[in-house]
Amino acid sequence: MVKPGKNLIIRFILHYYVKLIVGNHFHKLQFDPIEVDPNKSILLIANHFSFWDSLILYIVCCKLLKKKFYVMVREDTTVQLKYLKYGGAFSVNKRSKDMLQSLEYAAELLNDPQNLVLIFPQGKLYSNFVNDIHFEKGSMRIIERADKKFQLIFAATFVQYLKHKKPTATVYLQNALGKCKSFEDLKNAYQMHYDNAKLQQTEIVI
Amino acid sequence: MIPERSNRFIKKLFAPYLAYRLRKAFKVLKHDEVKVLPGHSVLLLCNHFSWWDGFFAGHLTHTYLHRDFHIMMQEDHLKKRMFFNRVGGFSINRKSKEVIESLQYASELLGNPNNLVTVFPQGQLVSNHSDEVNIERGIDYIVKKIKGDCQIIYYSAFIEYFESLKPSVYFRFLDCGTNHDFDFEKVKAMINAHHKRALKEQVDAQH
Repeated sequence: MVKPGKNLIIRFILHYYVKLIVGNHFHKLQFDPIEVDPNKSILLIANHFSFWDSLILYIVCCKLLKKKFYVMVREDTTVQLKYLKYGGAFSVNKRSKDMLQSLEYAAELLNDPQNLVLIFPQGKLYSNFVNDIHFEKGSMRIIERADKKFQLIFAATFVQYLKHKKPTATVYLQNALGKCKSFEDLKNAYQMHYDNAKLQQTEIVI
Repeated sequence: MIPERSNRFIKKLFAPYLAYRLRKAFKVLKHDEVKVLPGHSVLLLCNHFSWWDGFFAGHLTHTYLHRDFHIMMQEDHLKKRMFFNRVGGFSINRKSKEVIESLQYASELLGNPNNLVTVFPQGQLVSNHSDEVNIERGIDYIVKKIKGDCQIIYYSAFIEYFESLKPSVYFRFLDCGTNHDFDFEKVKAMINAHHKRALKEQVDAQH
């Protein structure tokens, strides 16, 4: 398992680089204002349709959530892009026994109220047009292990062009209230949030 | 109504520039196959969800459909960018009485088998996630007035990112037959069924 590396210089460069490319690529980045509890860490659950997802959510983290950013990334990606670990990435490999270690590590990170852990429960890239979100069971394990010391936030991201030359990214955020006691609960609660967000995106007519 | 004033020289210069701009902004533009009937003009219908749609249609016309490109544009948009008038843009104003004139003009252009006219049948920008394509009645009027042979082609376009930082565009064509066997309600149902199927295939597509 690859753990996040500590290198202030690379982190500093990555921070400004991500800000620059997200600012350049998108016309606008919109997100819902939500309340953040300063005494709790955040577990952010999001849909995964492109490489931009984590970069967009990193910016949301900087602007709104204001925590230290960690993200669970597939092991082959962390091997390919070695610098990612300095930006807060740690690896997970579904096919090895390391997986449990990665999930434990994510739960550990959530013990510190300064941290934010972003996970993509879909486990791989899916189309931005999917209706049903595939959910891997590991996400529930993190929640069980972290023992309610965190704030659970759902994010659903959509990218559309509409009347601008550059695309607009919209992130729908929602505080999940403490109702996710089982895997099915969690899956359904996220699906509900996603459906709601997708409906708002679908209804856009200009 | 502003008729098109295309200039062959400007059109020739614009095509490679357009290809360059699209290559810069997008990773791949991938389309499937459609049988273009020889000796027929083409009425190209497509879903309208972005600023780029007209450019996509222009690029597909130059590289794949091989006809002389024309496009129906909203009058206020065309007035702001009169350059497009030189590469095949003509205007329509839905709020004025001239709307019939624009539709008739489109039919006249389609009388020439070398021409292609692009029309956004939805008449407005609609989300790319929408699974319905609203076809305005104007299409019926255009097709009924065509003197000559014309093939009607529709495509659904979807933009996705996947692994790349640059987006890719996927086009899925549908052959809607010719103007001789045209039935508005039937074509409308066909296009909607195709769009729903294309959206589903897009979700299941390998990348």
